Amino acid sequence: MKMIVQIMAALAALAGASIAAAATPLQLSSDVFVERTISRNDGTKTVVLEKPKMVTPGDNLVFVVRYKNVSTATANNFVVTNPLPAAVTFDGTSDGLEVVSIDGGKSWGLLGNLRIAKENGATRAAQRSDVTHIKWNLNQPLTAGAEGKLIFRGVVK
Amino acid sequence: MKTRYHIRSRHSLRRQSCIYALLTSISVGVISMPNAAYAAGTLAGTDIQNVASATFDTAGGPVTIQSNTVTIKVDELLDVTVSSSDPGDVITSPGQTSNVQSFRVSNTGNGDEAFALTATVANGGDDFDPSLQQIVIDTNGNGVFDAGVDVVYTAGINDPVIAPDQNITVFVITSTPAGVVDTNRANVSIAAAAVTGTGAPGTSFANAGQGGGNAVVGTTGAQSLASGFLAVQATSVTLNKTATILDPFGGNRPVPGAIVTYSLVATVAGTGLLNNLVITDPIPVGSQYQTASMTLEAIALTDAADADAGTFNGTLIRITAGNVPAGQTRTVTFKVLIP
Repeated sequence: MKMIVQIMAALAALAGASIAAAATPLQLSSDVFVERTISRNDGTKTVVLEKPKMVTPGDNLVFVVRYKNVSTATANNFVVTNPLPAAVTFDGTSDGLEVVSIDGGKSWGLLGNLRIAKENGATRAAQRSDVTHIKWNLNQPLTAGAEGKLIFRGVVK
Repeated sequence: MKTRYHIRSRHSLRRQSCIYALLTSISVGVISMPNAAYAAGTLAGTDIQNVASATFDTAGGPVTIQSNTVTIKVDELLDVTVSSSDPGDVITSPGQTSNVQSFRVSNTGNGDEAFALTATVANGGDDFDPSLQQIVIDTNGNGVFDAGVDVVYTAGINDPVIAPDQNITVFVITSTPAGVVDTNRANVSIAAAAVTGTGAPGTSFANAGQGGGNAVVGTTGAQSLASGFLAVQATSVTLNKTATILDPFGGNRPVPGAIVTYSLVATVAGTGLLNNLVITDPIPVGSQYQTASMTLEAIALTDAADADAGTFNGTLIRITAGNVPAGQTRTVTFKVLIP
């Protein structure tokens, strides 16, 4: 009985997903790449991006969020939010146009404007390692067919 | 231009809510700090999951969508660091057994890992090679070698398993050969190697990692070696005897009636302390010991076996000079009569 319920739930989830995909006017996809340094035969080294299944602490990750307006209407106030995985330290975005949160998404600001409490009651400037969420407020209307990507980097803690 | 992308006052933040937000961030910041204490990094087997979300307004109202979720597993990183935890050279002496040298083995990887230990006593560039007695693991974790309490290490049998970011203390117990001399030093080293495997950084062992992933050799090569030194402190003693004669005529000829004053100077050389120096000298045949004529460092001694350092038993004098630091001398004098 329990199994049936689970199957039903799974089917419902699948159906829900496909309906949502069909109905949503926007597509959003997430990819993660890892930078691997490859030594060539001539002694030079080159950095390539791989889609990893496995990483180790210290690996440099590149997160790519792609969006596309697949509807015929314009979407306004387009905002993309990416919570940073707990095991990843933020290492900047490619466009520098993000706002970040250092408190789990409660408050937002430019990283340089945020401060964090020290144990002695004083505060210090927030560091990239304090970032918990990244957000882009794309203030331009996203017209039909428009697409783009947002890129940020992280390091496996 | 850039201000265009600054956070808009969509929620029309007021001053109070800004302060509230800052306070909130403060408390979260403090709570999250313990996580940063893991120098070893994210634990092996942890999943990194990333998902983005987007919100936007349409004619039908605001919409929120989620992206796909990307999941990556964190592999086990094999790293280890060994260091000597002795403050300096460990002092030994010729023939001494059970020299104790302390080393710290730290798992700087991100998974539970067993480490094989190898001690080397025959290293080049030093003065002598001690004999290896045992490697002992500081089982009770007090940093001090407790014979019979801390467990003797046997390779492959009780390779210590160390949690990520933790360390253990290991003792290397050696004995010093008898032939060494003062200031000789010996290099004693211990190596730790991850049991899962070692190699060039980046070497991967498929499915051997904790949590089901691979195990990957980190920057240390998954092995580490550290040296500690034994230093010999030894003392040697030389005894120099001189005689001064005073004859009855005020001269220095060994004639009957002359008094001979013997002077024994014991000189301690080397490093450290010479323990229990005892000076004895038989009275020369044909001469007569002069009662109560013994001195030690110019202080008169009685002949009886009593509290002071000197005794005369009828045939020889015996002076117990005690412990003498290297670099010092002890001078004994006594007098005999030529009959």
